[in-house]
Amino acid sequence: MLASLGVASAQAIAWATGCGGGQTPVRRAEPEASGEVRTWLRDAIAALAGAGLGEPHALAVARGRTTAASDVLGASVARGRCAGAVLSATDRGGVRREQVTGDLSQAGIAAAVKALAGATPAPARVAFAPPQVWGAIPVEPDDAALLERARQLAHDRAMSSRIVYWAGAIDVDDATLWAIAPDHDREQRLVRVRCAATRVAWNGTRPVVAEASRAWSGGVAEHELDEDEREAASRAALALYTPSPFEPGEFALVLEPSVTAAVIDAAVPALLTASAARRPEVARRLAVGASVASPLVTLVDDPTIAGAYGGFHFDDLGAPAAAIPLVDAGRVVGRIGPRLRPGHIGPADAAPSHLRLAPGDVDHEALRGEGYLLEGGLGAMVDPSSDRVVISIARARQLHDGQTTGRTYADLELVGELGPLLASVSGVSKQTASFGLRDERDGLPRWRSIEAPWLRATGRLRARSQP
Amino acid sequence: MIDQRGLGRELDRRGLAEWCVVERDQELGWVDDAVVRAEQRTRWQVTAHDDSPAGRGSARLAIDGVDGSPRDVVDQALALARAAVGVAWQASPQGAPARVKLADPALDKRRPSDVAAALVHDLPRPSGATVTARASCLREHASASSHAGFRTSWLATRVRVDALVARGERSLAIVREARRLSDLELDAAIADALEDLELLAAAGPATAGPCTLVLAADAMLDDGLGVWAAFASQADAVTEREGLTRYREGAAIAPGAAELAEPLDITSDGALDFGVRSAPIGDDGDAVRAFPIVRGGIAVGLGLSPREAALRRRDPNGGVRNLEVAAGSWTSELGVVSSDRVIEVRRLRGLAIDRYTGHASLELALAIDRGTGKPLYGGTIRLDLIDELARARRSATIVRRGPYVGPSAVLIDRAELLA
Repeated sequence: MLASLGVASAQAIAWATGCGGGQTPVRRAEPEASGEVRTWLRDAIAALAGAGLGEPHALAVARGRTTAASDVLGASVARGRCAGAVLSATDRGGVRREQVTGDLSQAGIAAAVKALAGATPAPARVAFAPPQVWGAIPVEPDDAALLERARQLAHDRAMSSRIVYWAGAIDVDDATLWAIAPDHDREQRLVRVRCAATRVAWNGTRPVVAEASRAWSGGVAEHELDEDEREAASRAALALYTPSPFEPGEFALVLEPSVTAAVIDAAVPALLTASAARRPEVARRLAVGASVASPLVTLVDDPTIAGAYGGFHFDDLGAPAAAIPLVDAGRVVGRIGPRLRPGHIGPADAAPSHLRLAPGDVDHEALRGEGYLLEGGLGAMVDPSSDRVVISIARARQLHDGQTTGRTYADLELVGELGPLLASVSGVSKQTASFGLRDERDGLPRWRSIEAPWLRATGRLRARSQP
Repeated sequence: MIDQRGLGRELDRRGLAEWCVVERDQELGWVDDAVVRAEQRTRWQVTAHDDSPAGRGSARLAIDGVDGSPRDVVDQALALARAAVGVAWQASPQGAPARVKLADPALDKRRPSDVAAALVHDLPRPSGATVTARASCLREHASASSHAGFRTSWLATRVRVDALVARGERSLAIVREARRLSDLELDAAIADALEDLELLAAAGPATAGPCTLVLAADAMLDDGLGVWAAFASQADAVTEREGLTRYREGAAIAPGAAELAEPLDITSDGALDFGVRSAPIGDDGDAVRAFPIVRGGIAVGLGLSPREAALRRRDPNGGVRNLEVAAGSWTSELGVVSSDRVIEVRRLRGLAIDRYTGHASLELALAIDRGTGKPLYGGTIRLDLIDELARARRSATIVRRGPYVGPSAVLIDRAELLA
């Protein structure tokens, strides 16, 4: 997502990515503090139940973030921590109320109880379920080591004087969450790591931005963006493109996983969530059972996948993570409900976690025939009202008889309606690639990941830049 | 316990070259059809610079809460600053904070969650239509201090409504954000949406071809600054220094842009009373100033952080904030003289702007063919926004919405509608 932030200095990258809202260096939720937090939250639940409020629930979050970045202008590290709790209950009028505090301490939670219950009530006797804990390897990233990794990410063997901007960044989010209600007591620690290498080179009158990235949940040193992947980013930025204008038309296409992922990332929030279904157009077009894609398309939101950047063990309502089938063999079978508040204390959101487009059984190279191979998904726009889709693509390589012809066009877009595009899918590769995405809304982070195969489809391709 | 005085003392004691601390005590109310939320939080922004013979190291910490020790915070800031040393620079002397009003007196005494609930409850709900919404209300007391002994504080409020207006089989989303309740103008926004829903129900597909384009307010200001965001990107000092923008100070923003009868003037005004992006000072403690970005079609200003300003030997200005675009003399009553058909764009499905080149793709949701009066849907317009907005005829009527103050519509002569 560095590309989406635009090219900025390392300081700007680190500051922009490192210090969104809700960071604090206050008391870490170290293992020894975990029992304390649990006790405070249980006390809060007992007090809310004692006040006669229905379905009391407590969520607490302690999150740290470290971002190291290095670019043409220098190197920088940003660090922050955030802590807070959300107490929620249903009042006598049937209204669900949430009281949020940024003070994760006994006094802070007691104040939140008072605000929600209107007074300090006598606690009710509550028989809590035994705690379930999902831990992770404790992480306290070393700034110097992270900076060194960021510097490595900023360079590779293919660097040349034509590259006018280069950057490397590594971003570590470490969140501990507690969700407590009379029927559950759960704790999870999620460490999410994302590293990225960005390269920019001029191609004619416009800069070409290329990025390689890798994201996972687990140890900071568990994976790395290797030299070959960084070099691929440089080569993509330096690629020489066919200078003649691209003739638009309807073509057979092979969508590389990053292009497929761009479509999924735009389409699911716009069409397959509970909030999207409030639109009458969406509710009608994507009713459960409706055929919206080729039978080869099966899509699941699955936060249980081990190591997935967007994965988790339980959601913010405390419910254990479970896969939600969204599209099965081309038919709509489900929607994402308002459940996800992944490691922060903002309002619950109907957002995806780890979207997985099921792989097929053919090699991705076997999908190639005539037409174009689309590489480098830069983003997509899906209009929920009309089904219109516009997918921005870094480059398209012309294919003839399954081989690239050498003609490569830069800066194109695939346009049309999403339904026909998905209905035209005629091949799905057995290989997949994963992408981790992190952005912020109202200063709060949203993590998600997408696992996508290569797809063969047909669609209308045209140049993106002004003729 | 973190407190401003303790942080300041610790930062001074550790000999940091420059520092600034901004504290924000916030009350936030948030309401949708399922939940009423009330939130209290304290946010801190600590910016510290440490000088060494190798250069200057900088650290920024964003802190949410009051629990913790000032010493730990400063330890961390120092460690971060020393881990990342860059070129040496020194901020110019602290300027006086901008004098700007940011708090709506009407929100003084009410609980933010009550305000948000009332916003949702009081939305007009015309018969035959459904309106669902979520609203938020923020009230904050902010204070800042710096190494130079500078201290200031201010009150600010912000309200926001995200609504979905549906009639029959169609819906339109509305977003309004303002410092004052009276600036939200929700009644008008919902009335416009209903009118556009009726047009949508009668609309036919757009046909490709050349056209003259009128961008009405809802289309022009899609997602905040809308098409004018192209100028905010071009005025980014970091990107400009890296040579990645086409914007060059002192040069016309487009060939011939300075010779037009009504050349373009754009000002960034972070000191605009009740502007959603207004503030007395920036997060780095730099005084926010209004400054011209484009004057008479010539690029004249950049948004400068303290670092960028120091490297350019200028004064910082708080960066690009609210945009004020000078009105023109065109009115729709004057009509449009054009050999092409005239398309008035009412709503966009999407707007994508290349931040380096200013080229944009506008996906049309609803337009009206001014010649036939027929509503249209769909189609794409490609524009070089820097060039086209430099030459565009701007309306005499001014609209103020979110971070934008300027013409309520623009007319662009040469455009190509793609099906």
